[in-house]
Amino acid sequence: MKDEFLDLVRQVLDHEVVDSNNLPCGMVDDLEVSGGPGGELRVTALLVGAGAWTRRLPSGFEGLAAFIFGRQQTRVPWSEVETVTERVKLRSRAEELGLGGADRKAAKILEKVPGSG
Amino acid sequence: MKNIVELFLGILTAMGGFVEVGELVFSVDAGAKFGFRLLWVVALGTLGITVFCEMAGRVAAVKGQPVFNLIRERAGLNAGLVTLVAANLVNLLTCTAEIGGIALVWQLLSGWPYRWLALGALGFLLLVVWVLSFQWIERVFGLLGLLMCTYLAAAYYLRPNWGEVAAGFVPGVPHLESSSEYLLFAYFAVAILSSVMLPYETYFYASGAMEDGWNPGDVNLNRVIAIVGSVLGSVLAVALVVCGAQVFRPHQIEPQLPGEAALAASLTLGRWGLLAAVGGMFFAFAGAAIETSLSGAYNLAQFLGWPWGKYRPARTAARFSLTWIITFVLAALIIMTGVDPVSVVEYSIVFSVVILPFTYFPVLVIAGDRRVMGEEHANGWFANAVGWFYLGIVTLAALLAVPLLIVTRGGKG
Repeated sequence: MKDEFLDLVRQVLDHEVVDSNNLPCGMVDDLEVSGGPGGELRVTALLVGAGAWTRRLPSGFEGLAAFIFGRQQTRVPWSEVETVTERVKLRSRAEELGLGGADRKAAKILEKVPGSG
Repeated sequence: MKNIVELFLGILTAMGGFVEVGELVFSVDAGAKFGFRLLWVVALGTLGITVFCEMAGRVAAVKGQPVFNLIRERAGLNAGLVTLVAANLVNLLTCTAEIGGIALVWQLLSGWPYRWLALGALGFLLLVVWVLSFQWIERVFGLLGLLMCTYLAAAYYLRPNWGEVAAGFVPGVPHLESSSEYLLFAYFAVAILSSVMLPYETYFYASGAMEDGWNPGDVNLNRVIAIVGSVLGSVLAVALVVCGAQVFRPHQIEPQLPGEAALAASLTLGRWGLLAAVGGMFFAFAGAAIETSLSGAYNLAQFLGWPWGKYRPARTAARFSLTWIITFVLAALIIMTGVDPVSVVEYSIVFSVVILPFTYFPVLVIAGDRRVMGEEHANGWFANAVGWFYLGIVTLAALLAVPLLIVTRGGKG
């Protein structure tokens, strides 16, 4: 990271997350911070998954979005973040962090079709 | 050689935007109602879509970021989600109309029942997108969609008054008899602008650039492809307006079916002209159906951070693949309820103008951001000026679209 400080809202939140193989594995749907008034505020984790972003919607839409996309969310410790550019790159593979599970489930359906790769 | 092959991305994108079933009927109908007086709107829209496709393609080549990734990042979650829902509704409705259009074209040739032909079209599209790579989809549907050039020949042989055609490119409003006719003219102007600048063209184009593995070295190629594709599409749209004006306006007929557009080709070019026109319509509609269903999947995947792309095996981009499959199936189910495909697409064209500002704003902001794009690849003053001018125009059109749709009763006057 070249800059001295990181604008969390503009440079991290709502950016794509890729794993160590550059495979997309979600978005930074929310950030977990610890600390409080008077103390040091630290980002402790990225929250990835519908459970994290549906909470940010205006009330009323939250329930509908959660009904469609579910409430699953995965916590990725900030220490797993390797670089922050247009994408947030992680140090490990998606499976190791519990990301991309829904895609692996969907793959089970498609595997039965010839030509699915 | 690589550059020639890449051209097909621009051609397919433009075909799917400019000569899909809705625009085909809209253009011929606009010619029948107002002669050549709306041609300047086609030209206005063409420059706009060229500028925004070029920007979206450049951002994709330089930063590797497709449009919905930018929308989420710059417009934020809430505005982004509204755009996503609206964009994918437009994609679904347009895909629905194209499947209906394919069934109508097949019916013209075979006389078989419409619903069964729609089911056949679904099977055909699923098979083609599943089996063919992105590059072969580009080549097959880009190349064979060029059969639509038959309408260029038809427009030429219909011997329009070329002076009047040229005069149609001068922006202006004709003298009409009543205020309701002026409203109808405004409705057609907004609808034609929207159908030329359809938002899914930029989604598909930028995602296609990434499917084809473009990098910063392809920036000049991108410019050429965006221009060639849009100009080709708009020349075809102009030819359709001319056909409408020459064939239907003298008889005060308001064409509402794609088959009626083919009539213009058969009148001037005979049996082979008719077959080429019908073939061109089939490949253009199928190309647009593929463009819209893939766009739907690209948008959702890019907004939610799923692995995406036809270049990945379906198994490794599973939610992306399921999304385009489901889009095709839903579209076919809607068409099999018996709704009129042309009115479906007319509504989707009008609603799509409402999301244009949300789509183009993030693209314009990123493409002009020197910190993100670098000095070399950021917008120059010309692209910025034209970009902001068009953002103003599409915002105005977005505000007018729905009121005009209501007061003109969907263009019925």
